[in-house]
Amino acid sequence: MSPRHFARINKIDPDELKMLKKRIDIAMAVIIFSTALLVTRLWYLQIYRGDEYIKLAEKNRIRIQEVAAPRGNLLDRTGAPIITSRPSFNVVWNREDAPNPDAVLKDLASILKEDISVLLDKIRAAAENPRFMLIRLKEDIDWDTLTTIENKHLSLPGVRIEVVPSRDYLYGDFASHLIGYIGEISPTELKANRYNKYQSGDQIGKQGIEKIFDKYLMGEKGRTYLEVDVHGFQQRQMQTQEPFPGNDLHLTLDIELQRAAEEAMGDKAGAVVVMEVNTGNLLVMCSTPLLPLQEFVGGIKTPVWNKLLHDPLNPLLNKTIQGQYPPGSVFKIVTALAAISEGVINQDTTFFCSGFINFGNRRFGCWKKGGHGTVNFHRALVESCDVYFYSVGQRLGIDNIAKYANSLGLGKKTGIELEHDKGGLIPSTAWKRQRYKDKWHEGETLSVAIGQGYVSTTPLQLCRMTAAVVNGGTLYRPQMVHKITTPDGKILKSFSPVSEGKIIGSEHSLALIREALVGVVHEPGGTAKVVRLPDVFIGGKTGTAQVVRLAQNEGLGEQAIPYKYRDHAWFTSFAPADKPEIAVTVLVEHGQHGGSAAGPVAKAVYKRYFELKSGKKTAPEEATSPVVPEEKEE
Amino acid sequence: MLRFDRRLLLNFDLVLLGAVLVVALIGLANLYSSTHLYTNVGVPLYFKELTYYLMGAAIILLIISCDYRVLLTLNYPLYALMILLLLFALVFGKNISGAQRWINLGFFRLQPSEPAKLILVITLASYYYRKDTGRGFGLLDLAIPALLTGLPFILIAKQPDLGTGLLLVFVFASMTIFVKLQRTTLATILCGGLAFIPIGWKFFLKPYQRQRVETFLNPENDPLGTGYHIIQSKIAVGSGRIIGKGYLQGTQGQLDFLPERHTDFAFSVWAEEWGFLGSFTLIICYFFMILWGLNIAISARDKFGVLLAFGVVSLIFWQAFINLAMVMGLLPVVGVPLPLFSYGGSSLLTNLAGLGILMNIRMRRFMGTS
Repeated sequence: MSPRHFARINKIDPDELKMLKKRIDIAMAVIIFSTALLVTRLWYLQIYRGDEYIKLAEKNRIRIQEVAAPRGNLLDRTGAPIITSRPSFNVVWNREDAPNPDAVLKDLASILKEDISVLLDKIRAAAENPRFMLIRLKEDIDWDTLTTIENKHLSLPGVRIEVVPSRDYLYGDFASHLIGYIGEISPTELKANRYNKYQSGDQIGKQGIEKIFDKYLMGEKGRTYLEVDVHGFQQRQMQTQEPFPGNDLHLTLDIELQRAAEEAMGDKAGAVVVMEVNTGNLLVMCSTPLLPLQEFVGGIKTPVWNKLLHDPLNPLLNKTIQGQYPPGSVFKIVTALAAISEGVINQDTTFFCSGFINFGNRRFGCWKKGGHGTVNFHRALVESCDVYFYSVGQRLGIDNIAKYANSLGLGKKTGIELEHDKGGLIPSTAWKRQRYKDKWHEGETLSVAIGQGYVSTTPLQLCRMTAAVVNGGTLYRPQMVHKITTPDGKILKSFSPVSEGKIIGSEHSLALIREALVGVVHEPGGTAKVVRLPDVFIGGKTGTAQVVRLAQNEGLGEQAIPYKYRDHAWFTSFAPADKPEIAVTVLVEHGQHGGSAAGPVAKAVYKRYFELKSGKKTAPEEATSPVVPEEKEE
Repeated sequence: MLRFDRRLLLNFDLVLLGAVLVVALIGLANLYSSTHLYTNVGVPLYFKELTYYLMGAAIILLIISCDYRVLLTLNYPLYALMILLLLFALVFGKNISGAQRWINLGFFRLQPSEPAKLILVITLASYYYRKDTGRGFGLLDLAIPALLTGLPFILIAKQPDLGTGLLLVFVFASMTIFVKLQRTTLATILCGGLAFIPIGWKFFLKPYQRQRVETFLNPENDPLGTGYHIIQSKIAVGSGRIIGKGYLQGTQGQLDFLPERHTDFAFSVWAEEWGFLGSFTLIICYFFMILWGLNIAISARDKFGVLLAFGVVSLIFWQAFINLAMVMGLLPVVGVPLPLFSYGGSSLLTNLAGLGILMNIRMRRFMGTS
């Protein structure tokens, strides 16, 4: 083609060419500068800040799915399992897989036999969470529901089954106050420091041993690293770290004894504590009514909670450590120890009981209206003569009593590794001055001497006190775990008995008291004859704790007194009498009489204890003969 | 009539062809990486792109077979055709995500704003070639080229595709400055341009365009909305580090975190998988291609060749620079593709045609002049 067809071609004028070259050079400079800028930027992004960006890219694509670890087991002192872990199946909802949520949720609701609004509420509650996070719609579904869902899974997009370890309570509500329960971590707990390893949705111990020993029981969560795309769809599984099960807790509790205690308590409200006198190990920690654990699974519902809260039997209270009651005549052990040790009386000192004593312008009655006549130390304890101890108390003075009571571990926390351990109260002149800005009145000493007035104690305190009195005077710290073992059986931690020191009080006085306490059970006139067993000698002390002294109740028949005004019944004891092994303390709320209400419970425990010891396994419990009320103490 | 001159073959620009082939191969390999996981498209996109390359080769052959000076007569008919196509796209165009950019030709969806870039270059080169007095252009002399640029600019900005529109303005500015302006004119234009920025911001930009610029200035303000593109692209590029994650191994690209990864953000996929080494190589390829283009311009046999080559080079340069700066977070997200690298037939054919023009000018640099 010839250029002539278009236009005349002018060769560029050399001057102009020079100018053009100059401008091309400028253009080149612009291009070099721009390229340098781009390369610098590239260097900045890829080399200078590359490591940051690779982290961001990894964060984009890697999602960590956690697999809960099976929680450690709880075993009794013989190694028998009390609570184990098993897989449980939860129904979870994945918003990202659900193209048609309304229809699917409707179907699901009918399979789960739930109202659809319940499911919708749960989904709504999680609206703030990232979309890929699964929402738990129902926990621990049964096998039939599971198979139904699995069979229909194609028509239920968005519905998945999640397998999580769950607690298996082999004995139902057994020792439920002590053991506690587990539940989903709450938003407030998540903020607390001790839970910094946990995440929303985790199960943690909420109460009792489950809570206190949570860090041992929880195990280590497994992790699955998933690669996901921008829509959250799983691409492949990259790496899996198996969960590591939690450690096993070997409790000092004895299943058989605990069950015997729970059975013997029946529907009575109260507490049973059994302690090995020479170690402080607790074999029984029973508080009735038992905590209904099922209600707490998946969060307790408000109406149920309110019902439990207002139940006159106080099922929410762990009465062994939280229940503070006047010890009543059980406190005479303290007064007796103080009196003999301080020398204000000796074993032959007698007082005459006419049924009452006048002090100031007030009359202090003995529970036995007709009076005990002349009683010595031994008889006074055996028959629980109030007048004798009024007089002894008067001689001692309140501060002496308080000194001995404190030394026996009363009026302060026991140091048991549980929450809400209450200290009770031992009054003294100093206490009264501080608390009421008032001086101590001597008359008040009389009440305290028989365990009334300001005094209050917990069942665990009295059990430990009894153990100390009969084991030669050592006050042990109550313990409920004797060792913690790893899943492969290695001992991680073991707990040996911890002595909290010797009690004050002479050997001689302790011997006298022990002798008298055996008399309470085995001698005529003793207040706890009902507890007697054929082969074993048992020592003990009954007590009745006045709840209120109301004129309108005077003279009413026992059954006519409204439940909440009835007296509490105590019995604290030990056996065998010659070489004590265990101390058993029973409290029956509003049980009215230590001997008749609390005694049989202790008897059932001893019976089981010695059966087990002699190898007579699980003899069927014969029907307990109805207790014939003997002399009633006040 | 077609008398083939052997010198044409001897003078064929193998260097430019080589550079184009290298970028084309890299681009195709990268396109495979970014689209091989797309399952819902019929013909794989890399296969389509390969067909466009073959079509482009045919167009290059067609272009180099006639002297580039034919454009001096074809320029206004081409310009008229371009305006018609742009109008047609605006009125009847296929609406994709709120923009009317495409004309469906049945076998091909034409995006007329792409050839418009090249046609504007031809038009301006022809105009400046004819009107050049050597004294430099004054303000009034610029009225017609400004009009010639303004018309397609308005039609494209209306689609709305402000990125391509501004690209036209950049090309116009580059070429105008290149042909020599009177000093006073240059100063006036610069001041006027600066004054126009706030006015344009207020009255001409659509809210989404303003938001894009604002997001660019602070992408972390809106990480899931408009800032998402910039953030994800920076993560993709940055996480490539020195040697990259390996071919087909880029997580940002393969797992879909990177938006528009086969078109505007194709470079991010490359940078993620091949790291600094690969990205640097690619940038150098463009750098070389553009410098070579300037060399073609200055060695052209006549001033039309110089202007035309310079115009094509400025078109390729501005596209490459804006796109690279955009995916690396130096400029707001505007829809400007990376020449030869981003998927898209209209863009590819336009750029190949431009490169064909460069080859044309190069091979005729010694042809008879009078």
